[in-house]
Amino acid sequence: MPRFLPPWLEEREEMKPDMMVTEAVPRKTAGMRRLAQSPVMLNWMYLPALLLFAVFIYYPFFRGLLISFTDWDGYSQALHYIGIDNYKRMLSDSRVHTVIINTLIYGVGSTLFQNIFGLLYALLLNKHGKGKTFVRVIVYIPAIVSPIIMGYIWYFLLQYNGGAINDIITAFTGKPVNLLADPKVNVWIIMVVNTYQFLGIAMMIFLSGLQGISKDYYEAAEMDGATPFNRFFNITFPLLAPALTTSIILNLIGGLKLFDVIAALTNGGPGYASASLSTMMYQLYFARQDAGLAASLGNLMFLLITAISLTSLYFLRRKELSQ
Amino acid sequence: MRKRAFWFLALAMLLVIFSGCSSRPDSGSGNGGSVETGSGKIGSGKAKTTLSMMVNISDESLTKAYREIVDGFTKENPDISVNLQFDSTGYENTMKVKMAANDLPDIFDTHGWAKLRYGDYLADLRDEPWASQLTDTIRDVVTDKDGKVYALVLTEAKDGLLYNVGMLEKYGIEVPRTFDEMVAAGEKIKKESGGKTTPFYLSGIDDSMIGQYLDNFANPLLITAKDNDGDALLNGSFDWSHMTPLAQSLLTLQKQGLINEDVLTAKRSDLPAAFAAEKVTFALVGPAFMDSVHEIAPDMKIGIMPVPSMVAGDEPTFAGGERNTLAVWKDSKHLDEAKKLLQYFAKPDNMAKLSNVSKNPPGLKDVKTDHELTPYYEKYANIRVFPYFDRVYLPNGMWDVLCKNGTELLAGRMTPEQFSASMKTEVERLSKK
Amino acid sequence: MKQRKRAAVYTIVGLIVALVHIVPFYILLTVSFKDLRDMSSKWVFPGYWFTGNFVSAWQNAHLGRAFLNTGVITVLSVVLILIFGSLAAFPLARYQSRLNKWVYGIFVSALIVPPLTILVPLYKLFVDIGFMNTYFGIVLLHVTFQLSMAIFLYTSFIGTIPRELDEAAMIDGATKTGMFFRIILPLLKPVTATIVIMNANSIWNDYQFSLFFLQKPDSRTITVALSSFFGENSAQIGWIAAGSLMAAIPSILVYILLQKYFVDGIAAGAVKG
Repeated sequence: MPRFLPPWLEEREEMKPDMMVTEAVPRKTAGMRRLAQSPVMLNWMYLPALLLFAVFIYYPFFRGLLISFTDWDGYSQALHYIGIDNYKRMLSDSRVHTVIINTLIYGVGSTLFQNIFGLLYALLLNKHGKGKTFVRVIVYIPAIVSPIIMGYIWYFLLQYNGGAINDIITAFTGKPVNLLADPKVNVWIIMVVNTYQFLGIAMMIFLSGLQGISKDYYEAAEMDGATPFNRFFNITFPLLAPALTTSIILNLIGGLKLFDVIAALTNGGPGYASASLSTMMYQLYFARQDAGLAASLGNLMFLLITAISLTSLYFLRRKELSQ
Repeated sequence: MRKRAFWFLALAMLLVIFSGCSSRPDSGSGNGGSVETGSGKIGSGKAKTTLSMMVNISDESLTKAYREIVDGFTKENPDISVNLQFDSTGYENTMKVKMAANDLPDIFDTHGWAKLRYGDYLADLRDEPWASQLTDTIRDVVTDKDGKVYALVLTEAKDGLLYNVGMLEKYGIEVPRTFDEMVAAGEKIKKESGGKTTPFYLSGIDDSMIGQYLDNFANPLLITAKDNDGDALLNGSFDWSHMTPLAQSLLTLQKQGLINEDVLTAKRSDLPAAFAAEKVTFALVGPAFMDSVHEIAPDMKIGIMPVPSMVAGDEPTFAGGERNTLAVWKDSKHLDEAKKLLQYFAKPDNMAKLSNVSKNPPGLKDVKTDHELTPYYEKYANIRVFPYFDRVYLPNGMWDVLCKNGTELLAGRMTPEQFSASMKTEVERLSKK
Repeated sequence: MKQRKRAAVYTIVGLIVALVHIVPFYILLTVSFKDLRDMSSKWVFPGYWFTGNFVSAWQNAHLGRAFLNTGVITVLSVVLILIFGSLAAFPLARYQSRLNKWVYGIFVSALIVPPLTILVPLYKLFVDIGFMNTYFGIVLLHVTFQLSMAIFLYTSFIGTIPRELDEAAMIDGATKTGMFFRIILPLLKPVTATIVIMNANSIWNDYQFSLFFLQKPDSRTITVALSSFFGENSAQIGWIAAGSLMAAIPSILVYILLQKYFVDGIAAGAVKG
């Protein structure tokens, strides 16, 4: 009968210890068996994934890396290598500085708020009260909607002419306010919208964290006469540290790459005043026809996000261990 | 254990095979347009050709007109099928990626960039029967000095300002012929409507509207007058401070309160509703926009006027160029079929149909049209048409600078002098390439 | 008594939270039921019953076909993600050799790669190997890009499964590979629910990849189909709103169905054992 499975998936009767003793096995085969048992042999399991990554992410990524050393316009067949000119231009461009600050506001700011509110909501919806499932669903639903659509929904709320929020403002003051025009304000609005959308994910992560904490801890604490405040900081919070790590890393990466909401609300404007690295890169690439500079910006963004996530991962893990 | 592993892998295999199979019918007729056997026509034994075609429009009535013409063509040519796609918002980006990968549709729209952007990728159409019929205003726009014809121009742009005819009549205002008259008209409308109407509408989010303003008024300021800067711009001796009044004019409109207050955050797509509600008088957009207005206010009368002059003694003018075009990819595997489809589009009936639906003048001679703007085009038949300013006098890549700088100007983050200085540096950077 | 009072307060606060969070969706709902000509405030629900937007959105965007396409792509991608992801996570979680730590880093850092820098090379690659306009190509693309998250979650989940279980299995004579299928795989159910919800959702909502790699009208996905309503000159906001609502329904249903597992899923990965 032909084999259905490659040998490494067959059940290995002969591996049972009692058989090992009785059967006389040639040395060579035993060595191979040891190899089969060694952890290294398990690494085949990630080979399919690794192959996909190599072909569809890392190969194009390194090709893209090279674009940053050219003066390519993003579409023609003509391109010249110009060394690190694009990087020089990027670093001396004052707009890029604004955009980096904006990106940090979007990334770090929304991560902060998502986690604070996510935790508060999780505490609120963990045990008490009726209809908590309903509230959970409501808080989570925005995460389901496509971000570009979310941007448009908020545009309906925020727009100057006939925007829902301005209807209320007009009712009180008689005059609408152009909320999205002022770069001092619109950057924060975008941050709030992103927080609103993905708050639900942080909440779910904390909720599941809370449900994994054994009641015994609290009962013991209660016997010791700990206040609720004490209980939170001495039991709940430390035990949630791993949940916090997951939540922070996912939110950070998402926030630092923010694109759709900005595109829908302000398109990065006025000028580049509310742009993030993603939206500026997009505009440089397609509208400005400055693909070389766009690619440099992309690489900067890659470095920035890597640095921030690794640093936070390092501190968060250390905190986890020290608890 | 054995069972579970078996099912696990079997499932994975099945999925891969299934997804491979289900995609096969699609993969065959991919981008370059490959040959499919005509299903259901086994007897004929003739191979069926599929042409891919991409057009950058989204207006319902116009897409319908394209579809009808293509249907007519495939009925006449049962051995050719056309994979027709419409996209307006993502079109330019998609085409740039396609050019980069050297993988273009057989036929596509060049929307004003036949020579400058798409030129290297286009087949020469000079021997086509319709080539000699191109109108005088458009011929040079799509022909280079060697005589290569880049595209069939279905309709050409003849841009001025669209305006609410009833509103001008109501306030007893003549169609303005100079910039100053236009400002005066705007002030009158603003005042007499009690602030309900703000005559102009621009958008900082879709900042091409601001670019359009600057592009359209650059001609009367710098090019159309007898004494002009055209040559200086071309030979690089242009004094960029001459650009400052253009930036200043935009600020003048804003200071007088003639531009919508939310200009920085308004969207172009909200213009039809505002126009229909009589909140806007003049619109600096193509006529395709009129359908969207009529959807809300079916009886509103909309007219077109030429761009007012800015220099004393000069006359109003139109800005012209390609609007809807069709060009053929030079590496298409089906050049002959593609040209055949273009010939079908070039038939007077089809040309007239597209012109009537889009309300733009046809790009070929001897096409009779009858639509809402026809009387206006006839009335202004003698008005001079100048090609878009940026296509002739600015290097490729400046369009976005124009749009972005205009927005910065309106946001108060740039002065008119800084505007001109920035234009100068960008032009020098791009010209060096 | 005190307990009940507290419960009541929690309920009220919860309702206030829900109320605040539902506002944008309320606006979406009113817009979706309004005629384009209706200029009333977005707070006001139309006084008439108008479903024209839903009908128009469905017909004009050929949403039936788009739902089918998106559904097939999402289901295929998610199944492959689960297979490749769970397989890859096992050695990474259990045998943290130096090599495997690097491999893990490679997988997770792909989360960070900005999609735009790889767009053009990727597109060229797709054209060269004939993957354009195929379900096969787009599925592999989604699988690759979502795998990072799946491997991230699976790895931390497997990390919480006590090693004693493995050792017990080893004594029974299973190979390490066999142990994965026999012991670990059945335990992955909760985290799998999490991954299904999160990945299915992002694939369902994908716009960029579908726009560039599926360029035939009959292979369009929902988001691309809906984007055709954003014209140069007008946005059919009623249609967009109605279409978005319809597009969100399957995701919401999946979420409600898997909600129970979802919570368990992150839990196991999120709490110190």
